[in-house]
Amino acid sequence: MDGVLVGKRVIGTQSPVTIGWDNIPKVQGGPVKQFIFTWFQPTMLFVLVAFWYYAPNAIAKTSIALWVGFGFRMMLLCLEWVNPRYASWRLTWKELATDLFYVGLAYTLLHVIDHYIGSDAFADAVGHYFHQDKFAWFMGLPLLAQALLIVVIFDFGQYWMHRGMHSWYPLWLPHSVHHYITQLNMNKGAVGNPVELFLIGLGIGGFFDFLPRAFLIAGAFSMATGVYQHINVRFNSPRWWRFLFNTTEHHSLHHSLDFEATRSNFASSLIVIDRIFGTCVDGEAELLGMEGGRRMSIREQMTHPFTEGWKAMRGLAPATVSESSVSGKMS
Amino acid sequence: MNLPFIDWIWHVQGRLALPCGQSSDDALDRLTSLFGQDGTSHQRTGASLSFQKKNQAAQDRLSVFDRGDLRIETRMDGSALHYRLTSRALLFCFLAPFLFLCIAQLTIAVNKLDKPKLEPLKAIPVVQMNPIDKALGAPVPDPEPSSDAERLLKAEEKKPTSTAAYFFAGIFALLYVVGRILEDRLVKGLFRKHLLGSV
Repeated sequence: MDGVLVGKRVIGTQSPVTIGWDNIPKVQGGPVKQFIFTWFQPTMLFVLVAFWYYAPNAIAKTSIALWVGFGFRMMLLCLEWVNPRYASWRLTWKELATDLFYVGLAYTLLHVIDHYIGSDAFADAVGHYFHQDKFAWFMGLPLLAQALLIVVIFDFGQYWMHRGMHSWYPLWLPHSVHHYITQLNMNKGAVGNPVELFLIGLGIGGFFDFLPRAFLIAGAFSMATGVYQHINVRFNSPRWWRFLFNTTEHHSLHHSLDFEATRSNFASSLIVIDRIFGTCVDGEAELLGMEGGRRMSIREQMTHPFTEGWKAMRGLAPATVSESSVSGKMS
Repeated sequence: MNLPFIDWIWHVQGRLALPCGQSSDDALDRLTSLFGQDGTSHQRTGASLSFQKKNQAAQDRLSVFDRGDLRIETRMDGSALHYRLTSRALLFCFLAPFLFLCIAQLTIAVNKLDKPKLEPLKAIPVVQMNPIDKALGAPVPDPEPSSDAERLLKAEEKKPTSTAAYFFAGIFALLYVVGRILEDRLVKGLFRKHLLGSV
């Protein structure tokens, strides 16, 4: 395959990719369907942000946010059946069961671990060093400005953590497991080794829980923009949306079987951060995964970082993030 | 290992009458195309076929099964396909509720050990709502809890609860029932289509 020259890189030499927005297929169907799948994303963002902005204090709680998130995800699961992006990404019973296992771990065991030794504990520890007086200026900002700043700070940290995972072998080991997924579905974001899920959850986002309403609005904003990374729905996202936010198109390239394509589109919600640092590639891919699209079992996903790390320590596998470590072949 | 009373949990078996006049060779020829997927190997011996799968792709229509035996039996009333398939995914889904029930108990135990400690109350700056938020009608925030009882209650609310673990135990129990019925029907339909040559 010849690939496509994007900046100084040639993308798509190992697996087919589509580069450029004009080359990506559009939603097929009548004007109502076109309208719905063009404006769904901005409308839901507006509705969710407005809900948390105006929700009475008795409702504006994290426990309610979990149920709102659950309802929103159920709605997106329905959209996957109505207007899938690729038939080969269709959700099957086995994929749903596998994905829900990871979602379940994230909401239960990892949540407990995060509370005591992860992001919550970290946020608490940082919080003790600061007096809220120092944040009076921040607390005096309009709620939407507070929320937007929280999103930007959180996403900036996520961008560098994710980029680090693709550049530094010890971080790549736990993250590589997530790249064995061969299709994008609603819950695929949760699929990965628990060590990686713990690391990617580390951030200072929880530090802002002293601003409960801004924190909830920021969470809704991140969900309503970031949830589309792993989803099997074809949208005609407006031009401004795909300039600012991460989309399925961007993230499918990031999960492509093509090594060079995986080294792009690292941001969680704000793809504009990738644009600033020169790592954004606009396009999409259907064939996803690693080692030719081999599906990894749950048991292997749990042990892979440790067994590969052991091999690397003994010199039996390359200890670098390179084409050979991604394709599974020794160079 | 033969566990006749419980192996229905992770095994799917059934019988399909062959169309009139179809030979066992012809029937197995028609089914063989199902086992040409990546990660699948199969062997044919006379009127039997057995297969094994490893790291099967999500797109594989038999991905839920890891191995299986198919055989054609001929009797006076006609020939029929008998199959018995093994699924680790079904077994895993059957066991998952127990795992989440254990996590729920673990969460309860950890919460019992964790007694929230109240730190000295800091002077919290009184910040006025931004005029823009006032004009747009955002609700006025509740005052920060000042009494020890209120602060303890708030600290308790922050602790992880076992509700999510019970919820996922229920989800997996439901998912198992759906999967056991659905995958049984889907595989029967798939074999029938191939035998009839409508694929």
